[in-house]
Amino acid sequence: MKMILKIFITFFKIGAFTIGGAYAMIPLIKREVCQKNNWLTEDEFLDGLSAAQSCPGPIAINLSIYIGFHLAKGKGLATAVLATILPSFITILIIAILFQQFAEATLVQKAFHSLRPAVVALIAVPLIQMSRQSGLTLSSFWFPLSVAVLVGFLRISPVYLILITIAFAVYQGLKKQK
Amino acid sequence: MAMINQEVVLKNAWITHSQFMDIVAISQMTPGPIAINAATFIGYQKGGFLGSVISTLGVIFPSLIVMTLITITYIKLKNQPWFKNIFRKLRLLSLGLIAAAFIMIAGDAFRDLFSVLVFTASFIASWKFKLNPFYLLIGAAVIGIALG
Repeated sequence: MKMILKIFITFFKIGAFTIGGAYAMIPLIKREVCQKNNWLTEDEFLDGLSAAQSCPGPIAINLSIYIGFHLAKGKGLATAVLATILPSFITILIIAILFQQFAEATLVQKAFHSLRPAVVALIAVPLIQMSRQSGLTLSSFWFPLSVAVLVGFLRISPVYLILITIAFAVYQGLKKQK
Repeated sequence: MAMINQEVVLKNAWITHSQFMDIVAISQMTPGPIAINAATFIGYQKGGFLGSVISTLGVIFPSLIVMTLITITYIKLKNQPWFKNIFRKLRLLSLGLIAAAFIMIAGDAFRDLFSVLVFTASFIASWKFKLNPFYLLIGAAVIGIALG
């Protein structure tokens, strides 16, 4: 019971602060999951992150499914997902009810003028850190770089790249076994 | 986002295009991924509280199925070399996707001098001083209100 409560609180926190996308929160989630609570090893976390990005659905949700299941199977999964959704569900519901007044509040606009570049920085930092940790060599660098260009500039859907990557990896794996 | 626009605005005409842009803007400002926010919002508009609950559950449904299957498979097969290889490749891909996300929103960081300053300060705070993102965002919001 204590674990379930902990899962709920942790993911509620995470859900409440993923503003402008889950990417900026990744180091925080990693800190909570790997260092603070010792729930997963770093490798398990990074694999979960990769899987979360490759599956349909928002990363935050996918990650909560992965981590929640690891911790307490079905119950853990359900708790983590619910806790992640709740903050945004409640917030949006309130906004939907008061729609006009919210969007035009100057205070809010001012806050977000500052929040947007802050979020960009929060994505840049872990990006650089993760690049270092992934042991990128000169020869493997081309892969994430081309993905970044294809998706970021050419706006090609990541889905194709994901499927190609998995197919190639499986093919490679099978070839080695021969 | 493009898909949400396609389905909701063009195909089903549940909201207008400008309403959609509003939702996107609001979603940037509120907790939660845009898919969830859009589902909750439009669900409420079209079907009240029940509508918002159903839409939200609906949008996470594929995630629940696919991700759960992948997680179970991962736990079973994670020591198999061929399976590990898939994840090795996926990690690199994942790096590229994060970089792509950065590229797509990088414009926000350099829109005006204020943004550049906030970006620089945030970067240093996070990189050098390892400032917790929770507090960094709160700080940024306060600065925006005070100086924006």
